[in-house]
Amino acid sequence: METLNRNLLHPQQRVGENMPRWLQAGGSEALRGAVKDTSALLPAIKEADLRGLGGSGFPVWRKWEAVAKEAASPDKYLVCNGNEDEPGTFKDRLLLEETPHQIIEGALLGALACGINRIVFYINPDLTRSLAALKSALGQWQDGELLKLASDALGKQIKMELVPGSSHYIGGEETAAMEWIEGQLSGKAKFPFPRGKPPYPAQCGIFGCPTLINNIETLAHVPAIMRNGAEWFRNLGIGHGAGTKLYSLSGDVLHPGVYELPMGTTLRDLIYVHGGGLLSGKPLKAVFTGGPSNTLLTPDDLDVNMDFESLRERGASLGTGAMIVVSEGTGMVKRVAEYARFFAHSSCGQCPPCKTGTATISRLLDRIDTGCGTAADMATLESLCRMLPGSGRCHLVNGVAQLLDSSFRHFRNEYEQALK
Amino acid sequence: MKRGLSLQAALAAYRPDTELAPLPELNDPDTLLNEHHPDHLRGSMTKLTIGPNAGADCQRELADLLQAEAFIDEADLAGAQVTDTDVLVIGGGGAGCAAALAAAESGARVLLATKLRLGDSNTVMAEGGIQAAIEPDDSAQQHMQDTLRAGHHAGDPALVAAMVGDGPEVIRWLIHQGMQFDQTASGDLRTRRAGGMTAPRIVHCRDYTGLEMMRVLREAVKQHRGIEVWDQSPVVELLSNERGQKCVGAVLASLSDGSMRIVRTRSVILATGGLGRLHLNGFPTSNHIGATGDGLVLAYRMGAHLCDLDSFQYHPTGLVHPPHLSGKLVTEGVRAAGALLLNGQGQRFVDELQPRDIVCAAIIRECREGRGIHTDNGGVGVWLDTPRLECSQPGMLEQQFPKLLARTHHVGIDPRREPILVYPTLHYQNGGIVIDVNGTTSVPGLYAAGEVAGGIHGRNRIMGNALLDIIGFGRRAGRAAALAEHDRGPKKITLEHVNRARRALTLAGLPLTQRAPQILPAYTAVGKDIWKP
Repeated sequence: METLNRNLLHPQQRVGENMPRWLQAGGSEALRGAVKDTSALLPAIKEADLRGLGGSGFPVWRKWEAVAKEAASPDKYLVCNGNEDEPGTFKDRLLLEETPHQIIEGALLGALACGINRIVFYINPDLTRSLAALKSALGQWQDGELLKLASDALGKQIKMELVPGSSHYIGGEETAAMEWIEGQLSGKAKFPFPRGKPPYPAQCGIFGCPTLINNIETLAHVPAIMRNGAEWFRNLGIGHGAGTKLYSLSGDVLHPGVYELPMGTTLRDLIYVHGGGLLSGKPLKAVFTGGPSNTLLTPDDLDVNMDFESLRERGASLGTGAMIVVSEGTGMVKRVAEYARFFAHSSCGQCPPCKTGTATISRLLDRIDTGCGTAADMATLESLCRMLPGSGRCHLVNGVAQLLDSSFRHFRNEYEQALK
Repeated sequence: MKRGLSLQAALAAYRPDTELAPLPELNDPDTLLNEHHPDHLRGSMTKLTIGPNAGADCQRELADLLQAEAFIDEADLAGAQVTDTDVLVIGGGGAGCAAALAAAESGARVLLATKLRLGDSNTVMAEGGIQAAIEPDDSAQQHMQDTLRAGHHAGDPALVAAMVGDGPEVIRWLIHQGMQFDQTASGDLRTRRAGGMTAPRIVHCRDYTGLEMMRVLREAVKQHRGIEVWDQSPVVELLSNERGQKCVGAVLASLSDGSMRIVRTRSVILATGGLGRLHLNGFPTSNHIGATGDGLVLAYRMGAHLCDLDSFQYHPTGLVHPPHLSGKLVTEGVRAAGALLLNGQGQRFVDELQPRDIVCAAIIRECREGRGIHTDNGGVGVWLDTPRLECSQPGMLEQQFPKLLARTHHVGIDPRREPILVYPTLHYQNGGIVIDVNGTTSVPGLYAAGEVAGGIHGRNRIMGNALLDIIGFGRRAGRAAALAEHDRGPKKITLEHVNRARRALTLAGLPLTQRAPQILPAYTAVGKDIWKP
């Protein structure tokens, strides 16, 4: 399986917080190169077609460019988002545990490219092992030669901080993250309510300063791109896809786990080659892509390349790369009801349509699932699917509606069977 | 096995007043156990290949169930009714009732689910009594030493200390619940000494102590407003959180219509009892019809550690004749009261008050070596010499063992005049789910109490400790489960642990054909096709 773990999870990279071993494996080379000429960073990332791997698939260079253009007032912030909390996603925790130095180097490169002097690592507090690994790794960088090199290149002291998250799912949303970090840095705790956009974080983020926010996985790719060149990175991918992607495979498969595969690997390869196939040899029923706030994939999608574009063409989305596989014999209504309950519970409650909409969806789904639903409940759910999208500040409510809508499309009969 | 005397010849030769030769010395109990105890039968053990106890010895019949596929799939849960409660108690015997009462007294909402009916359990079959160090010349320390020694020092001292320490309080609590005990003329609790004990320590109610205990527990449970009871609702699977690491509920089936119900809860207490109805090594059993080891299967699949799966207790005196009562118990109290065991030649062969495993191995040795008594339909056994006891203490059988007399009277045997043919019967599971003193298992949210839990009795239990164990640890588990903390966030209920077990089975190359838990023995009408469509 020469396609597996070629970059982020390459065995040489998985040294944990052991800095000397990481240096031996080529760590810090990219940073040492970049301090000589920071202007080469942005074009390289653009050339590599690196995307935001936290779920958006937004080209990284556009965010970087926007922040780079802004003047520091007085600071610029980089938030390394590791608040992963959604069902079925478990890639960031592995990266943090096994390759923390790679992430820190990536963050510093991002900071140099955009002229950022304050870096915040924002991690889900429930991931205690990841937190510990990153903390120990950061300790080895503080006051070290590498950080000084980077600060000198920037012309300002770079400050790196670790801010544990709020352990709310919504805290992973980028503006909510900024809200929480502001609270933690100023000592006056704030609930992570998402903010309205615009203004975008690039213009007005933490304390009004220009702020770049990237997922842990995105930043971890940067050092290798700088080391091996953009073309090398692009060629790692398949079809439209560039580079590699961490897929979190879970559910009814023989070997669940995190697989680093070329961006654009097919679902069939992921499930049947790497995941060892379905449990007890059952047929595939559907895949919730993650975290399960996206359109469902069905056996028809087995041969679609799993990159952002190809999936978008099918009306689906890659999300964080979480693939929750369900086999025949799984009740879809119950699953969707469970995820809806998760999102209803996670809604921060500031936008009324989201607060009441997700709660209503969850309640109606529970009703249908327990055999007490009526045709009127179904009709209500369907109209909610049309009404709710776009009615909240963040994407939470859209995700629920999308999941529900696509489960209606593919498994309508299961809902109808469960009605009274 | 060499054939000995026939039943008729042995009866004809029997005299209650024959002179007995002195008892031969027992020089090497370990050799006796190794050669004749059923735990050491060749071919009866295998090694577990999956799960937390992989590599450990285990009885073959049990291993097949521990490494079996689950009964249900997620699809079976579609449309299932969901009930929320604080504590779910699985099992309606003594441990289950004690746990439910303790949890309810601590303020929790309790749901008690039974496989058959409340009180259908081995508790009601416990005849001899319950141990507690309450006599002036006895101490908890002695009780502890006796328990550990009889268990071949395999028991967990912390658990034993907790149990013997609870002893007097347990008796007091039972009396407060309304339980009757036999008393001396002066009104003190009457005590007996039984096999393996250094002091008289068994308090009892005639020879139906367990039945009396269950009577008061049932009443207390039925009357408690914080406890809801679901009869005929066996558990077919536990439910776990999304990572399969915490127990968050259970799936209950209805015996009447086969429908599935989901119970979502903070903590689950397994009090499902033993597994006599698996008939290990083909032995008859003294256990009730529902004792099929379901709790072990469910807990193991969930990832709980088990212990001593190769150690079972065979009660020395199970009935052999008539065949339909085969395996039914004659209480050890009869031996404690002075009844002797005689082989086909009319001679004693073992000190009757040795621990159960030794007496049991000695009986099997006598039968194997041709000194047993054979019935026409293939049974074999030795005499329990009740007429001699009657001669020495006239009226004592009638007064102290009414249950024995009633049972034998039905089948035309009078133990006062003729001896009873007995042979070891599968009685008790020594090991089980590993617990701490609060009944906590290695799986968060999952508690265990009673026979399903292990580590207390080591590799052999002495009489009277089972009833003490179920009440003591039942109440401990109930209290701990009620005080367990709620989880943050929405409660997710999944079968992820079932998937994990399936993965392990597939990777180990084991078949996915056998299903467990067994719920009811395959030879019962319902058990044969229990969940088939």
